[in-house]
Parts: sequence; structure tokens; C-alpha cells
Amino acid sequence: MSQAASQLAPKERLRVAVHAADSPRRVALGRVVAEAGHIVVGIGDTADVVLADGDGPPGETRPVVTLGGADEDLAGVLPRDADASQIDAAIRAVAAGLIVRLPGTREREAGFGAMRESEAHALLTPRELEVLAALAEGMTNKAIARRLDISLHTVKFHVESLFRKLGARTRTEAVAKASERRRRETITL
Amino acid sequence: MTDQADLLAQFSNALAARAEAAKGAVVAIRLAHERHITGLVWRSGIVVASEQSLPRQDEFELVAPGGAIVTAGIAGRDPSTNIAILKPAEPIASPAIAVAEARTGAIALAIGADGTGGASARLGLVNLAGGEWHSSRGGLIDRRIVLDVRLARREEGGSVFDAAGGCLGMSTFGPRGQVIVIPSTTLERVVPQLARDGRIARGWLGIGLQAVAVPDALRDTADQSSGLMVMSVVENGPAAQAGIVAGDIILSVDGTSAHRFRKIARHFGADSIGRKAELRLIRSGAVMTVQTTIAERHAA
Repeated sequence: MSQAASQLAPKERLRVAVHAADSPRRVALGRVVAEAGHIVVGIGDTADVVLADGDGPPGETRPVVTLGGADEDLAGVLPRDADASQIDAAIRAVAAGLIVRLPGTREREAGFGAMRESEAHALLTPRELEVLAALAEGMTNKAIARRLDISLHTVKFHVESLFRKLGARTRTEAVAKASERRRRETITL
Repeated sequence: MTDQADLLAQFSNALAARAEAAKGAVVAIRLAHERHITGLVWRSGIVVASEQSLPRQDEFELVAPGGAIVTAGIAGRDPSTNIAILKPAEPIASPAIAVAEARTGAIALAIGADGTGGASARLGLVNLAGGEWHSSRGGLIDRRIVLDVRLARREEGGSVFDAAGGCLGMSTFGPRGQVIVIPSTTLERVVPQLARDGRIARGWLGIGLQAVAVPDALRDTADQSSGLMVMSVVENGPAAQAGIVAGDIILSVDGTSAHRFRKIARHFGADSIGRKAELRLIRSGAVMTVQTTIAERHAA
């Protein structure tokens, strides 16, 4: 990057208060914020931006970036599984007085919808779900073969089948798509 | 030319008259921060609202037609059909409601409450009128009605009329801002139950399910290619008491194939509570049957 360009993009350190009911989640979000170069402050301290897991603190007057919250009047609305670069970008944008939305979510994304069920040919088998759980833990094919006591060849076969059924190109994408599907399609009886 | 202008003026005047008359069909339900959503005045002065948009509190202030402020208590909520009902402390006159069926391509007039006792109006077409569907929360909606109308959030929950003044149902938001209608037929079915019991009774086993493919080796014995895998079991729930464990794949309930949840949803209506149900399932590679007793589901 040229000197001029780096001057154009100064990395401002913002004071960010993290609000999350769940303590591990608060720690994880705090780490994302700190790694992006910001200062994590307490919810009661002076802060430029509040990063809230789910619904923001009631009556909050500072700009809030919510992860998966339902309040559409907040300055920043991201999905619960937004990645670190999206969170950083949203914090900076909101601190600069902008509004942040994902494309297609200008209107209410949730809403009273139909039960979703995957097409029969895209349903996973119990074995594929086991392979998927191992993928989610970041295991290699070799490790998966050992755990499930099957051949490496069979593991590869299952992984390919998972990619095809989930429409994924990478292991990470397969895990993300499966978890989204599970969230949407799990029914309680 | 004059004839055409007259036709248009007539059309416009007719719509304005309808909107004026529809004032009595809606109330504003006041929320925090000077905001409101709309409630539909149903029979016996019961106010119907969109459950998903109504905050979880027991009492609300309504702005009745004409502008009077009336308090109203929540009398029932059913997230599965997105219907909540409120009973006003002072009676609100209910308009005559003629239930009408939606037809694709027909004109739809969506009425909202303006917050001061008047109405706001939106005009469009019935974009789609289809058959019954199940919501993601498991409720049965009698018809799929989509409007090509834009709606402000404060207008959600208002009445939707056809050209003859018949009530198609209550407006609400579907996914991605789509405006859909909870049909009058569904309101007629659900509102009286809600008014009586405060909730819609449903059968419950205490399990989370996800559709899975039956493994190839078991397809012949199972005699079907997919089932519902138990992903979670509520402690001490009916399924747990019957020994159902995570990983079981349910194939049928009382002989009805469970390859799709929709297929068995009807087995868990209000009348199922207390009934014995026979589940056919796959566990550790074998097909077996388990007896369980359906309990009542408590508010989610």
C-alpha cells in the first residue's frame, strides 16, 4: 500500500462495550473486538459503540450493533454468525454514524414463514451427520476414519456426498450450511 | 375521454369510501417510543393482532376508532398461527364482518390504524392464493395468501378487504418483508379457542426432530426412505419417559408415515392430549415400536 493510501485508511481504535447474557459468548466477542484493534470497555463505561449479542440493552442510547437481535431500529443489524471482518466493519461504520444491514434485510428478514423441509434427495443420513459433527470439530479425514472405524475412502465418499447435498464447496461451508439447516428445520413435538 | 376520467374517479371514490368505512375495523395498539401496530376488530369486540409483533406484556393501550384510548388485556396468544387476542376493558363496537375467500389477481385493500383513531389504506392485488400450509412454529394456516402490497410496520395486523368489502383476513409480515394474510377462516377457527382457553392446546412428546434419510441398509425393513431423527429429548417429557433417545429415527406415528412432519402434524392436535401413540422407529440398526402417551404442550 502506498503511503497516501495508508493515510487515507487510518485504523481508528474505538471504545466498544460488549453486551451478552452468555459469558463465554461475551468473552468470544470481546476477543473479536480486541483483535480488530479496538478497546473493550465495560457496558457502564464511556463507549463509542455497543456490540450486543441478540437484543441490545434496553434504553441504550449509544449506537448498537446487534448480532441476531430483532430490533430493526438499531444502527447495526448483523446475523448471529457474522464473521470477525463483518463485525469490525459494522462497528466502524456505526461509530461513523452510518447504518449497517446485510443485503436483502432492509425489510424484516424473519417474519411469519412456512415450515421448511429439505427435498428428499438432500436429506442427510445418520452416518453423514456423524461425519459432519467431526468436520465441525475440524477433524481431518484420517481422524474421522479412525473415530468412526471406517476406511479413508468411505470418509471421502461421505464428505463428497455432504458437499453435494448441502451445496457446499468447502468443509467450513458444509458445516455452516448444515447448522443453518438444522436451525431452520428442526421441529419440536 | 370524459367517460374514462369518470370511471377512474368513480373507482377512486369507491376506494376512499371503503377506507372511510374501514376505520371501525382497526385499532392502534400502542407500543413504546410512540410506536404502534394495528389490531383488527373481530367479532364480540375482540381485538386480533399479529402475535410475532406484539411485545410480551399483559396490558396495552388501544386507540379505538374515533380516537378514544382504551386499555386492553392479552386474552390469548398462539405463535403457531401468529394470532394474539386482546380484550378491551371498554367495549369497542365490532363492524359487520363478511368473510371472503381470496382469489389470485383480485383487488385487495389493506387497512392499518393511523394511531389517532383513523385508518391508513394500501391497495394492491392478491399476488397468490394457494392451499393450506404449516408455519415454522407448527400451526396450520388454512390458505396461503400473499399480497403485492407494501406495508408499514405500524399497519401490520390490520384487516384486508376484497373489492366487495369482504374480509380476507389479517395482514402480517412473512419472511423478507413479504406481506401475507392470516385468512379469516383461520381467525374463525383459532380466535374462539383462544378466547376460551387463552392458548391453543397441542399435543407434545418433548422431542426435537430433523428429517433424515434412512440408511440404505435399512430401507427395505423400514419400508420408507426418510424419517425424523430425534435430535434432542426434553428431560422427563413423555418421549423421555417412554425411553426415546437422541439418534432414534421415527418412521411412523400410529401407522402414519413420518417421512415429513406435515404428515404427522395432525396427530398432535388438541384432541391428542392424553392419548397413547405408537411410534415405529429405528434404533441401533433395528426397527422397533415404542408406546408413548401424548401430553399437553406448554407455551413455547
